Amino acid sequence: MAPIKQVILCGFGGQGIVLAGTILSQAAFNDGKWVSGTNSYGAAARGGGCRAEVVISDKPIIFPYVIAADMLIAMYQTAYNKYIARVKPNEGVIIYDEQFTPEETKGLKYVGIPATKTAIEELNKGIAANVVILSAAVEMTGIVTKKSLKSAIEEIIPERLRELNLKAMDIGFRIGKMKSDQIH
Amino acid sequence: MVRYYLSGNEAIAEGAIRAGCRYYAGYPITPSSEIMERISVRFNEIGGVFIQMEDEIASIGSVIGASWAGAKAMTATSGPGFTLMQETVGYAAMTETPLVVVDVQRAGPGMGQATRVASGDIMQAKWGSSGDYQVIALCPWSVQEAYEQTIKAFNLAEKYRVPVLLLTEEAIGHLRERIDIMKDIELFNRKKKAGAAPFGTKERDGVPPMPTFGEGEKLLVTASTHDSYGFRKTDDPLIHDRLVSRLNEKIINNREKIIDYEKYYLEDAKVVVISYGFTARSSLFTVEAMREEGEKIGMLRLKTLWPFPDGLTRDIGARAKVIFVPEMNKGQVAGEVRKYASCQVVSFTQTNGEVIYPDTIIEQLRRHL
Repeated sequence: MAPIKQVILCGFGGQGIVLAGTILSQAAFNDGKWVSGTNSYGAAARGGGCRAEVVISDKPIIFPYVIAADMLIAMYQTAYNKYIARVKPNEGVIIYDEQFTPEETKGLKYVGIPATKTAIEELNKGIAANVVILSAAVEMTGIVTKKSLKSAIEEIIPERLRELNLKAMDIGFRIGKMKSDQIH
Repeated sequence: MVRYYLSGNEAIAEGAIRAGCRYYAGYPITPSSEIMERISVRFNEIGGVFIQMEDEIASIGSVIGASWAGAKAMTATSGPGFTLMQETVGYAAMTETPLVVVDVQRAGPGMGQATRVASGDIMQAKWGSSGDYQVIALCPWSVQEAYEQTIKAFNLAEKYRVPVLLLTEEAIGHLRERIDIMKDIELFNRKKKAGAAPFGTKERDGVPPMPTFGEGEKLLVTASTHDSYGFRKTDDPLIHDRLVSRLNEKIINNREKIIDYEKYYLEDAKVVVISYGFTARSSLFTVEAMREEGEKIGMLRLKTLWPFPDGLTRDIGARAKVIFVPEMNKGQVAGEVRKYASCQVVSFTQTNGEVIYPDTIIEQLRRHL
């Protein structure tokens, strides 16, 4: 893995984008990495295009925002349209919720994950789709360890929702495993 | 050492607690509110006094009262709230009241864009109140430094009996980073001396000991001109001049001890970037990238904005060909650099409510290389 990994997560405010970003950065922290995170603030975080940025590194991070994303996790069409330009040309990976079909940019890798669909079908909670897609991305890319992702969920998610989110994580790992040949 | 993953605002709250702050009064304002949120929860655990006041004027007023009652006290706000506090910052300077004000700067002027970033309050911090007075202003570039500088702000306030301002920015307040918290941190507590004059020293630039209300001393506190025992002297030219001079000189004459900065690659640099706060992250990223390409470029990062490092700027200006100052305002620090540097000073300003990215700085620098 490259020494610095830059990730943008984006979607519609309310889909849990900020939470997914916080879980990812906490997981990287638990892995002992240097990490910085930032996200949409104010009205955008509660409806409209919403994003979280995470930079993960083996060394101290000088510039803490994403300059060019290695990975874009997109959960909503308009947010994808807004952030696709920030993905590293010819290298970046887009992991998207199959709720929408992205217009593909040449040179980038695309992997669709049925995150919302599976969250509704298996958990009866569409709201858990953020953890499904994040966990699938972790399974496919190894950007953080699965162990640290689990501990981050346990630390961040309140007790009454913990079991639901751990189930969503396992679903994400399962889908990620099935799709991992599409990314390598 | 313990390692945490915190936001800048959370780190400021934790730094204040670590410094011994046990009184907080404030009025919520974006993008600073997480400071008071965290303090309100943490004071409940550790036993401090937290009050949400009716506005910013009352907030800083009550912080002054708490300081004279012996507490290390703080308030936090953003640009518009900081404006409301200015009259009382002058009161604190004149009465030599130690306190800390955090300004998490947002895009102004006026109400501006509450959720967007700027560094527009640098001059407000220096000149916001009436008359000639000094403040100390610190400016962190990371979550780690937000924690450390909050502690330092309390130490300086206690040592010099002066309002200390932590001028941070939305981009640091809401940034989450890994921070390491050391076990041993040096703390300074205000000097007390029973019976001593609370507002005068033999030296022209001294800091008098500070008594506390309720400990048996007769104590008058007024922001009118006063003698060394606090009696109002509103028509004595000598007393006024001596007081105003001491309020200024106790800071200016100690500026070498107060001012903190970091130098990067300055030994042979012909182009020097002077930068502070979040923007310094972009600047250093740029400077390192251009160094790799063989450019003789260096950087000075200001950790203290007031008092301004005049001598250091003069030295750098004497050796450099050009100084480049990128800022999220209309050139507030660039103007200060021009006062002292003899070389060309180029101001790059951006006031669109967004941080300055490294590629913007590179593009601007290329025009001057």
